[in-house]
Amino acid sequence: MTEDKAKATVTTDFEPNIVAFLCNWCSYAGADLAGTSRIQYPANVKVIRVMCSGRVNPLFVMNALQQGADGVLVSGCHPGDCHYMHGNYYARRRFTLMRDFLEYLGVEPERFRASWVSASEGSKWKEVIEEVVEGVKSVGPMDQFKRRQLNW
Amino acid sequence: MVEQLIDTDKLKKIAEEVISREDVRLLIGYRKGTFGFRMRPAFVEEVSEVGELEFTPACVNNLATYLTNYERPPLPRGTTNDTRKVAVMVKGCDSRALLQQMVELAYKRDDVIILGIPCNGVIDPAKVDKRFPEAKGPGDVKREGDNFTFSADGKTETVPAAEVIADKCTRCRYPTPLVYDELLAPEVERFADDTYEDIAGLEKRGSDEKWAYWEEKFSRCVRCYGCRNVCPMCYCDECVLDRLSPQWMRRSVDISENTAYHISRAYHLAGRCIQCGECQRVCPMDIPIMEMNRKFYKDVAEFYEYEPGTDAEEKPLLSIFSVDDKEDFIL
Repeated sequence: MTEDKAKATVTTDFEPNIVAFLCNWCSYAGADLAGTSRIQYPANVKVIRVMCSGRVNPLFVMNALQQGADGVLVSGCHPGDCHYMHGNYYARRRFTLMRDFLEYLGVEPERFRASWVSASEGSKWKEVIEEVVEGVKSVGPMDQFKRRQLNW
Repeated sequence: MVEQLIDTDKLKKIAEEVISREDVRLLIGYRKGTFGFRMRPAFVEEVSEVGELEFTPACVNNLATYLTNYERPPLPRGTTNDTRKVAVMVKGCDSRALLQQMVELAYKRDDVIILGIPCNGVIDPAKVDKRFPEAKGPGDVKREGDNFTFSADGKTETVPAAEVIADKCTRCRYPTPLVYDELLAPEVERFADDTYEDIAGLEKRGSDEKWAYWEEKFSRCVRCYGCRNVCPMCYCDECVLDRLSPQWMRRSVDISENTAYHISRAYHLAGRCIQCGECQRVCPMDIPIMEMNRKFYKDVAEFYEYEPGTDAEEKPLLSIFSVDDKEDFIL
């Protein structure tokens, strides 16, 4: 386990696989703006659009890590700006608990991040992605409870 | 001076009164088990069955489980469900399960009759089995001062309470039931406090060490689902742990699926677990399940000043929010 990690840090050729759950109204539009403004950001994120960050079941995070993601990002509207009034407030509670719990089990906290990115924050989106990718790179590939028996 | 609290005659008298009422269908209590020092649940429907009811420090089961986990078969045409009340004997910790079930609207306060048992600690069956590996029983357990007196197979032995008491009782803050219709003994003062020292040690370690610890525990799991089945808070008709669509975790017993199982199970009890410790008691593989539940319990208390199962008027934790909730990890 540690050997893998050491190798990844030394050769720095490890490109993490990051799943991002973006809310339709803010973060997805923010990421879109980053694209249309031709802002360059790391290409490690796979975006999944959901209608609200409150739609993201904390089990999605667990499932993504199990199925081969090295990191997970959940992003939604800033508190108070939710299209559905308070979906992101509920999400915040769930993810605070889930993150602390995963950390307790030994999943590095860098693997699970959340952010508030509004539709006009294309440049913030870039910064968020850079920080997330850097964080996941520093902890190496996900090897705790990744699903290895794929034919089951 | 802590003594045997419950007067069995008084318990039987009250139970008789309750079960002979027209509007009561069932009384759930404790009776002697058939092996060792175990007690088992008793389901009393007739006055004639009241005689076997008993309460001793060996009554570890949380009977709140049975209020929600009964079979609901399809009814023959023309018949209706028996909606009469159910009476249940609860200790302090168990009464919190009832409160939490009521918070979640599993049933109404009027649907149950609660016979509260102020309790000064129950035994841990695992510790007792280790202490008395030979005992065939059925045996008797009594509390006398700071000792438990075990008598079985014609022998009697006194053991200091600290040696065999259940872990949860050493940090019990609600020895007297928080909700009851009838109290079977005088109230017990709070005698312990919770400092979370059992999980603090692991919390301080690094990720690798933490995972090494849990990897060993989770790989032992045989996925018997006992921890879910015994849990008083796990009463969903359709459980995420055995759904096939979506299938959150596969049936195979390997470290990945076991971890997913334990994460899901623990997460679904976030802000709901009332620390009765039943999951860990029934675990055949000695997985420290309560350490996961207690992590959530601690976080919930720390971040949201919320304590599940203490107030029937409270809303479930994850269905409410506050504008200034903690969000220090969010970018």
